[in-house]
Formats: sequence, C-alpha cells, structure tokens
Amino acid sequence: MLLELDAVSKEFPTRGGPPARVMDRVSLDVRAGEFMAVLGPSGCGKSTLLQMAAGLLPVTSGTVRLAGRPVTAPPPEAVYVFQQYSRSLLPWRTVRDNVAFATEHRVGRKRARAAAEEPLAQVGLGGFGDHFPWQLSGGMQQRVAIARALAAEPAMLLMDEPFSAVDALTRLDLHALVLEICARRSLTVLLVTHDVEEAITLADRIAVLTPRPTTVAEVIEVGIDRPRDPVATRELPRFLELRHALLDRLMTRHG
Amino acid sequence: MAERLRAILPGLAVLALLLAGLEWAVEAGLIRRVLLPPPSVIGTTLWDLLASGEFIAPLLATLRLVFAGFAIGSVIGVVLGTAMGWWPAAFRLFEPLVELLRPIPKSALVPPLMLFLGIGDTMKITSVTLVVIFPVLLNTLQGVRGVDRVMLDAARTHGWGTAHTLWHLVLPAALPFILAGMRISLGLALVLAVLAEMLAGQGGLGFLILDMQRSFLIRQMYAWLVILALLGLVLNGVFVALERRALHWQNRNP
Repeated sequence: MLLELDAVSKEFPTRGGPPARVMDRVSLDVRAGEFMAVLGPSGCGKSTLLQMAAGLLPVTSGTVRLAGRPVTAPPPEAVYVFQQYSRSLLPWRTVRDNVAFATEHRVGRKRARAAAEEPLAQVGLGGFGDHFPWQLSGGMQQRVAIARALAAEPAMLLMDEPFSAVDALTRLDLHALVLEICARRSLTVLLVTHDVEEAITLADRIAVLTPRPTTVAEVIEVGIDRPRDPVATRELPRFLELRHALLDRLMTRHG
Repeated sequence: MAERLRAILPGLAVLALLLAGLEWAVEAGLIRRVLLPPPSVIGTTLWDLLASGEFIAPLLATLRLVFAGFAIGSVIGVVLGTAMGWWPAAFRLFEPLVELLRPIPKSALVPPLMLFLGIGDTMKITSVTLVVIFPVLLNTLQGVRGVDRVMLDAARTHGWGTAHTLWHLVLPAALPFILAGMRISLGLALVLAVLAEMLAGQGGLGFLILDMQRSFLIRQMYAWLVILALLGLVLNGVFVALERRALHWQNRNP
C-alpha cells in the first residue's frame, strides 16, 4: 500500500456556530503503481481530501500515511497537480524555469534547468522552453504543470481536477498524455474528478464519494485492459456499463 | 515615434501657451518683474547655468541624498514589509509602531533630527530614509499578503523551504506592488531632500533655491527651480522605464 487514508475527518470553523464537518471518517487505500480516481459531485470536498493526502491541509482526525509514514507536511514522494494551472505557474518565469521549479532548491538552478528538458519533451513541449506560460494555451500550460510534477520524479501524483478547465478536445489529448506517461513510468496516481468518463478512461479503481459530509460510498474496479486509447475505450461495453451505473449514482434525481 | 509625438503634442501646446501668456503678462506689467522675470529671461539664465556646468555640483549633492535615502529606506521597507506580510507574529509586533509613525508628516521630523544628528548629510539622509520607508513597507505588506495561495501550495508540494520561497516566489510575485510603492517614495524622497537642504543647507538644489530667494537673485532662483523640476521628471522617467523592464511579464497579451 502506498497511500493510506485511515478514518480521515475534516472540520472547518464556521462563524459563530459549531464547526462544519465536511468529511467523515474517509478510509481509502491506494496501491503502489495503481491509478485511482476519486469521483464525486461538485462541492463534496474532493479537493479537501486530496490536499490532506498531499500534506497541504491538516486533518481534523484520522491519519494519512504515505509509504507507511504519517503525512504531516508535504512529503517529497508525492507531488500535487493543481486544477488552476495558470495560478500555479510563475508568470515571470519561462516554461523551462517553471519546470526547473521542481528541483532547483535541491540541485541548483543550472542543473534543474538541464533536467527540465526531458519532462518537457515528454509532454510534447520540447521547443517551448523559452516561452512564457501566458504565451501558451490552457492545455499547454497544464502540460507545463505536468512536466514540472514529473521533473520532481515523484512516486505519486495527486491530481486535482487537472483537466476540468480545458476544452473537451484538449482534455482528450491530455488523457492520452497521462495514459502514456503512466505506461512509461511506474507512477501511482490519485486523481480527483467530477467527470465520470475521465475517471473510467484513466483509472484502475474508482472511489465514489457521497455529498457532504463526505464518505466513500463504494470502490469500483474498472477492469478495462491497458494500454487504453482515450477514444476507443469509450466505445467498450464495459465503459458504457460503468458510465451508466456511475452517472445513475451521482445524479441527484434520486434525491 | 510619430504617433507618440502626436499624442504629447496637445500637452506641449498648453505648456507653450502658458509660457507665452506669462511672458506677455510680465511685459504688459500685469505681473511685477521683480517677482517673476519673463520666462525668456529665466530661460537665458538657465542656459548659462547648464552651459557653464555650474549646475552639476548642486545637482549631484541633492541626487546623493535622494539615492542614499531611497536605497536605505527601500531596503528597510521591503524587509520589514515582507516580514510583516509573511509572519503574523511580526505583523502584531510592528503594526502599532508603523501605524503610529506613518501619519506623521516626515518633514516635521527634520527639526528634531537636527538636534540629534546635526545639520550634515547623516540628518538629511535619515530624513529621506524615513519618508521612503512607509509607502514601500505598506505596499510590500499588501503584495506579500496577496501572493496566490495556489502558487504557494505549488512551492510547498515541491518541498521549497521558507527562504527559497520568500526570495524566488513571494518577492517576485509582490514586485509590482513593491515597485509601485517605490515610485511613490521616489517623489517623496526628492521633496524631503530639498526640504532638509533648505532647513540645514550647505549646498544642493534646495539650499540654492532658498539662498537665491534670500539674496534676491530671483532669475537664478527660478532657473534652479526649473532644474529641480527636470530632475524630478527624469528620476520618475528612469524609474518607470526600469519598472516596465522588471515587470515585462505583466504586459502579457491575453
């Protein structure tokens, strides 16, 4: 087990009233090398869950363990990829220097710059090192953010709705990229999303969350062979079956 | 270039009209010549000052005060503002002091400073420093507090330490605010330098303007005044150019 969430709860203080419990004893295990998606309606605290897993936000109770060690601060093995790519990149830095961001504090700016080329090439931005983020499209900016995460050579990626802010075609491109990266590197991924098709396309297992206070409703095995193609996978009977079941569960029409 | 010229032409025309009007008013006897010589006469005096190189020493004396005070005050303002913006404990520690000192017109501090530091450069530079600190400090504080949470979390998830984060993320992110504060302070620095020279003068533009007035060398007084105005204009222009270069990433096309 690489990442373990054990009865993790989160409460936020409210003005004047008792603290609001947004997450109630969530337990979740992510195996090494696995791609796990966390699927839930918007506002269910998916990002909160991921930030606690990343050590960016303290838990109210329960424990988060990464490779057996309790997570109390951001661990070096796990890197967080943000939904708001344009806010997580530094606008005064070139694309190359934004990727060097991942390692410069450990190996120095010069070596970090040299090490940035490989991940940049891997996300298809080989020739864009000297551009500034604001000269690139949204999808390309998110590629820079992914390259930055890869440059840190983490064991685990924590992805917070990373493709929700780009258009549908760009999203498919990025799905293909993520599938390819995961096939090439031994990465463990925890992806938070509200997009059912994205979860099925990318994940080995899907944890479905309930509305607040959030708990894990069930964990589903996707059971679609790899390598997967983001377009062809969508036509498989298993894909359609899962899509139906998950949408049915997530939609509010049942109350 | 031609477009730029066309843009500033109306403003220059107003200026030229005003000067011509003054010239006429003095010649027509509407303004007493002893109080305001015609602009053309001031212009000749100014030209003599510039051509003889006589202006250089006083100009450098004033510039020295402005730069020294501006540099020291900016460093103090940025360091203190960053500390107060980053560490809540530092904010609680210094905020009452800052709020107490900030509203005092710094010009009023020159007389007490003279008691302690005499009438030399130390006093003048200290006066300039004091007026420079506060706009820089307050803007830095605001800029540091306004750094995007997501950006800071990106630094945390990649394991950046506090010093690296402050130097490579917080300060560059706050730079637009810091420079805006410094631009305000630069103007104030010139005011305080001139005032300190007037109150405790041995040289410099401020001293000369007052000295000429007292010696009734009215043409010269106005000529020095023009030099002072040009100095302010050039200082601001240079600063704005440097600011634009430092913040090139802000002039992005969407």
